[in-house]
Amino acid sequence: MIRKLLLLVGLIAVLGISAVAAQDSEPGYAGLDQRFDGVTIRMATIGGAPYEAIYDTISQWEEASGATVEIVFLGDGFEIDRYLKTNYAAGTVDFDVAWNHTSFMTQYVDFVEPLQTYFSEEDLAQFSDAIIASATIDGNLQLIPRHADISGMHYRTDLFGNADLQAAFEAEYGYPLAPPTTIDQMYDMAEFFVAQDAVQYGTQFAGKEEALSGRYYELLVANGGNYFDDAFEPTFNSEAGLATAQWMRDLYANSLIPADTPNLLWPEVAQNFCDGNVAFYLEWYGWYSYFQDPNSCPAVAGNFGILRGPVGASGDIHTGWAGAHAFSVTRASENKEAAASLIKFLTSEAVQYMEAQLGVLPVRDDVWARIISDASASGVALDAERLQVAQEQIGSDFFTPPLFADWISFTNLWTPILQGVILGDASVEDGVAQGVDDARSLLDDLGYYE
Amino acid sequence: MIADAATVIAPVKARRSAFERRKLVFPWILLAPTLFIIAAVVIYPMIYSVYVSFTPFNLLRPETFAFDASRMFRNYERLLEDDVFITAFFRTIIFMAVTVNLEYVIALGLSQLIARVTWGQGLIRTLLMIPMMFAPVLVGFQYAWFFNATVGLVNNALMSIGLMTTPKAWLVDIPTGIFSIGLASMWMNIPVTTIILLAGTLSLPSEVYEAAEVDGASAWQQFRKITMPLLQPFVLIALTVRSLDVGRAYDIVRIMTDGGPANRTEVVWTYVGEMAIQNSRFGLASAMSMVSVIVGILFTLYLFRQLMKSRVVQ
Repeated sequence: MIRKLLLLVGLIAVLGISAVAAQDSEPGYAGLDQRFDGVTIRMATIGGAPYEAIYDTISQWEEASGATVEIVFLGDGFEIDRYLKTNYAAGTVDFDVAWNHTSFMTQYVDFVEPLQTYFSEEDLAQFSDAIIASATIDGNLQLIPRHADISGMHYRTDLFGNADLQAAFEAEYGYPLAPPTTIDQMYDMAEFFVAQDAVQYGTQFAGKEEALSGRYYELLVANGGNYFDDAFEPTFNSEAGLATAQWMRDLYANSLIPADTPNLLWPEVAQNFCDGNVAFYLEWYGWYSYFQDPNSCPAVAGNFGILRGPVGASGDIHTGWAGAHAFSVTRASENKEAAASLIKFLTSEAVQYMEAQLGVLPVRDDVWARIISDASASGVALDAERLQVAQEQIGSDFFTPPLFADWISFTNLWTPILQGVILGDASVEDGVAQGVDDARSLLDDLGYYE
Repeated sequence: MIADAATVIAPVKARRSAFERRKLVFPWILLAPTLFIIAAVVIYPMIYSVYVSFTPFNLLRPETFAFDASRMFRNYERLLEDDVFITAFFRTIIFMAVTVNLEYVIALGLSQLIARVTWGQGLIRTLLMIPMMFAPVLVGFQYAWFFNATVGLVNNALMSIGLMTTPKAWLVDIPTGIFSIGLASMWMNIPVTTIILLAGTLSLPSEVYEAAEVDGASAWQQFRKITMPLLQPFVLIALTVRSLDVGRAYDIVRIMTDGGPANRTEVVWTYVGEMAIQNSRFGLASAMSMVSVIVGILFTLYLFRQLMKSRVVQ
């Protein structure tokens, strides 16, 4: 018995030392073990300051592989989407590696190469299972993720830590004031903070374009509903769908969210929180360094915390609408092996670690371990805490929009109707019913029910 | 030997007819490059659009480009059932009528005032043209900021002088959303109308006014009975240009509200853009364009007929 115990302790010690050793070692590259002399890989990808840093590392891959990389297009998310759609539709694809995204990938299914033949299980072992599962359509891996984003509950610690507010809340609502963990609590607390005049708005959400229908979607899922069933029949006129729309409408009707909510997008809602006008809300992690900068956001810097998204009426599903930027190999590529090798390099531990150090959320477990370890040494507790929360969310709560090619068309159709419901132009029942009818009509036109 | 008259005339005729033919053909040769370019960039796209409007063409589904006679009117049927399109269509007309008429009234007043300025008129004309120098996109951004509910100039000004206690969502509410867009459009375009009317006013013959004064006509009578009738061609030109301009409103609306929220400020061309560019539904968007362009052409023809009539009357 003692020998077995000693053996177990020894085994744990060895594993621990290995883990520490792995942590201490330099992050590794991938895709540098094959030669593609004379090959030119053309790449159409996302541009902009946060995205372009890793493209500087491509010269390492060029040196090791003997190939040349030519970036033929760089544009923001919507520009690259337009560029890709136009080229795919016109049959003028002259690039090998293309940007992809879990929210957009269903549009590109016919034009990108299934990647499971180029990436072994070992190659994919370090990537988030939830993202790889989300990126697999009909058994075909559509993309290799690069970095992800998901929304955490951002809340003001000064408000939630205020003893007077805590006492007043508990007296009125019968449970303690703490950052909301359910959708119902979000409403109660928004109502309370506004009634107490503690803050201008209790909560908020971006109220236009896909930002609104996406936020509605994750609340809908957390409430136990969904937009469509497996046959693409719209199902959001369910109890969960109606309750979610009613929740949004009540927030607006009672001035618990900004009056111009339907005109707000991501930068505006982030600025509202930054200015100290909002008590709590769901926000992407990408704004973290901005909020923590006392020069940019003196009202919230060092004065907020982040939690996992709330649970809805389902009782066990957290909000978790998420997306991952990614790379794919085009079907038209004549050098698919080399294109896949370049993607292996760009999504390797070393390159991803470099990108994660710039603030984005990684999609590889080995990179998570490294950045959490780095953040622990920063002296700001939230630096590491938020990464642990984010890792848990990406590992457990991550879900993409419904996987069909016309997601964006659907959101363009549904968003104005939902805005009308929120603004009171239509009743919840009528608005949701119209959304369902129009969605069915759209998908019928596109041949989904044939 | 004297040649038969007929035998002489015949070759001359033939030569003449060859010359005539060349004379007829030569201009077409000169015009050919222009016609080719027009065909390539105007006629072909028009025919292409007409064809696409009868198909369910979706940019991401090349197979939908095929023509199906049994469903060729589907897009047009959809338009008749599409409340958003119908509302956007009539909103565009009302927006055009209100904006252009308000612009006209203000520009007419400004042009008459400026026409009477005897010193510094050149400077005033130059200052007046400043709004025209801005790109519509920039004007849209500027006015979107003015009317922003949280950080906007209008709310902050009204709240700081105590006229409002809570911020108003100008771009969200009805009818302030579309009014705000109209105001931005008018700010930018009143100078255009003013300059046209001012040019017209300054070109009117002074003898007519001198005769009217001799006859004892008041300033108002001169304005009503002389200025307004003689200005009609200029008024119609200004109205035609501005009506067509406002009728194809896109940029300012796109920037300020993007047709929203809840389609409250949707006009025809923002809706067409949304269908074509965001939703990739080129078939439906082309059908919308066809209807709008045909209505636009009929409206232009009507305005030009009115213009011709006013010139005949003069």
